[in-house]
Amino acid sequence: MTDIQAPSDRELLIFKPKPSQPPPPATTGLIGWLRMNLFSSVSNTLLTVIGFYLIYLVASAVNHWGIELAVWNADTRRECLDQSPYGACWAGVFVWFNRFIYGRYPDLEQWRVSLTWVIFAAWMAPVWFPRVTSKVAIGLSAILIYPFLAGYFYLGGERNWFMEIMVSVAILSFVLCWAHVLLCLITGRGLGTTIISLSGYAGKHDKTHKYPIIAFGAVGFVIVYALISGWTLKEIGTNNWGGLFLTLVISGIGIAFALPAGIVLALGRRSKMPVIRVVCVAFIELLRSVPLITVLFMATTMFPLFLPEGLVFNKLASAIVAVCLFSAAYMAETVRGGLQAINKGQYEAAAAIGLGYWPMMALIIMPQALKLMIPNIVGSFIGLFKDTTLVSIIGLYDMLGMIKAVSQNPQWIGLHHEPLVTAAMIFFIGCFAMSKYSRHLEKKLGQGDRR
Amino acid sequence: MAVADKGLSGASAGSSILNDERYRSVFYQIVVFGLIAWTGYYLIANTANNLQSRGMSVGLDFLSGEAGFSIAWSLLEFKPNDSYFWVYLIGITNTLIVSFIAIILTTILGFFVGIMRLSSNWLVSNLAGWYVEILRNTPLLLQIIFWYLGVFSLLPRPKQSLDFGGAELFFLNNRGFYMPKAVPGELFWITVIAILVAIAGAIYLTHRSNRIQEATGEYHSAFWPSLALLIGLPLAVFFASGSPLGFEIPALKGFNFRGGGRIPPAMCALLIALVIYHSSYAGEMVRAGIMSVSHGQTEASYSLGLKPSWTMRLVIIPQAMRAIIPPMISLWMNVVKNSSLAIAIGYPDIVSVFMQTSLNQSGHAIEIVAMVMLFYMTVSLSISAALNVYNKHVQLKER
Repeated sequence: MTDIQAPSDRELLIFKPKPSQPPPPATTGLIGWLRMNLFSSVSNTLLTVIGFYLIYLVASAVNHWGIELAVWNADTRRECLDQSPYGACWAGVFVWFNRFIYGRYPDLEQWRVSLTWVIFAAWMAPVWFPRVTSKVAIGLSAILIYPFLAGYFYLGGERNWFMEIMVSVAILSFVLCWAHVLLCLITGRGLGTTIISLSGYAGKHDKTHKYPIIAFGAVGFVIVYALISGWTLKEIGTNNWGGLFLTLVISGIGIAFALPAGIVLALGRRSKMPVIRVVCVAFIELLRSVPLITVLFMATTMFPLFLPEGLVFNKLASAIVAVCLFSAAYMAETVRGGLQAINKGQYEAAAAIGLGYWPMMALIIMPQALKLMIPNIVGSFIGLFKDTTLVSIIGLYDMLGMIKAVSQNPQWIGLHHEPLVTAAMIFFIGCFAMSKYSRHLEKKLGQGDRR
Repeated sequence: MAVADKGLSGASAGSSILNDERYRSVFYQIVVFGLIAWTGYYLIANTANNLQSRGMSVGLDFLSGEAGFSIAWSLLEFKPNDSYFWVYLIGITNTLIVSFIAIILTTILGFFVGIMRLSSNWLVSNLAGWYVEILRNTPLLLQIIFWYLGVFSLLPRPKQSLDFGGAELFFLNNRGFYMPKAVPGELFWITVIAILVAIAGAIYLTHRSNRIQEATGEYHSAFWPSLALLIGLPLAVFFASGSPLGFEIPALKGFNFRGGGRIPPAMCALLIALVIYHSSYAGEMVRAGIMSVSHGQTEASYSLGLKPSWTMRLVIIPQAMRAIIPPMISLWMNVVKNSSLAIAIGYPDIVSVFMQTSLNQSGHAIEIVAMVMLFYMTVSLSISAALNVYNKHVQLKER
């Protein structure tokens, strides 16, 4: 428009609208928002007032009990009650907090548990880094190899030949994983490419590229194996495990087992082979129709009968087996839901380009189905994490079990509220973070489908 | 490969048997069947061995044996010299009664929470949102223990009981919740019949009103006549037959209350925890169900001139129900299953009295575990059968 020069006499005729008036002050800004959302009608105003009054009641009660009248420093519950009979006794939580987290794990060895948590976080963290390649391999190694390292750290004692190898492999993988990540971040090339180019194999045929990598891995393995031989940790029996640590061990194993087992069961349930389908349906329906506590009781009372004489399963192992079976059945239904949502055309298209059953599942169906299932999978993980508290009923000292033990301790007898509130907050933070993250992931992965 | 082979295997008879899908499928099934049969045989052989070495036998004979322990609270009468089978039935009734009450209250509270979540009032919807998040993200067992140890165990002793309403009818103390117990008189059955007749009449009136509306287009609300019938007829019959219903009011005698009905603290705690925990899930289901009905439905209904209350009742709710009821029924199933956590606070449900106490006393692990699982499976299968019937009923209406 700028290049067209309008005649000056016509300029007077051009319609010039008045600048638009600002919106009424009552509909914008803070006041507008308040009127729209809180005081739009008489009944809404009433609800708002009642709502604020409720918040006031709860907040003042919590403040009164948990902060104003609370005791932060005391050695026994008696002292707490003497100082302030109607306030919270947070001193008890401070004294026992270590036990809520680690159970009866010896104080001097608790660093082992904390260290494995740090290692796990460090192992998984690169999955979220930009510019890092082979994220699937990093994630898989964290899930498949890490448990051996963690298991040895928790249990300690002498290693047999298998554990000796697995612990060496785990340490080596962790070191290589981070070497790879650092190389990626600094030079932009992964560990594999760097090794190949350094060893001079870069110009040779692609098939020969694996030799320097295997040689590198073997040398690394020998070095690690030599370094850790003779290094042992003090043995700590599973009856000393407890607290949040035990909750995480059980639910972690349950989660790691549930997803692959659930996928296999769901595929079995949709299989065309009658025997496999019947077996899978029976397993899934049986476990889904009974409460977890009955499965746990079954594990503790019937497993000793099932096993050959002389072989004794301890309580923790029984509980873990029960939780694994139970969560696999639930996961199978979640996975089935995702598989059903996949269009039949996807199967037909995969078959048409000549893919067999397993490649079709692994490359075409599962990636799409898993994406759809993320909210439900995380939902079952949260459910499993919460359900793990049931092991306290069969006598394991998980976080709830430790809380019960505290309230029976002669010096802290009757201390229920504060530990329960603390445990509730720990669970809330964990579960809430998981569900928020799943919603974020859902949004991120769903970007391609949005129009 | 599987699908590609289907076409080839018939045509080229000379191709390897290994690549034929039919043979492969049979082979896999035989392998799976063999594995399962072997595992089953192995477990049964071990179990038989173990039982023999412990001098135990398998069989349901123990059920007629004397239980010899007492049960803290039961709907049916229980004496320590009753049989184990009676313990099983007591456990079942105790589980069912607590689940039944919890399911009704959960559904009501869940609808309330779901509607609050959808409120246009920012504060109300956020309050409901935080209610849901906090309850869903903490373990149910922790909540049950909190209500039991943190609330109901700390109540005053009977002498200082809390009196609800100040009418000396409802009392709450550390022995439980006391309330008047209805004692029907001889002629009370007439009132019961009157109630049934009134319900049938109300249903008839509603049907008639619908028929008239479909035939003539005129709408005569059947609500007020039905309500009058429902309240008026039973009351009239009740007083005409001489008020044959007495109340046994709890009264403090010595250190404890006598008379009236009592709900023990464990049951109160279990009920409250179950209802509050599951109402958060129910609320989300109600919200999702109502949100699943497209907004166009509301607009279309308004443009036809229906008023907002009719829009909600005739257009939105019937469509939302289709999305709400299936998950709601599986939530009810969860309530039944989760009521087994009663064992943590000593409410005598089936797991507590049968799977724990009876199992520890008699040692018949296999039979008892099987019987308890059978009970839960029966409940679960009947609920899912009901769900399937409902789904068929709903699907027929779809065009």
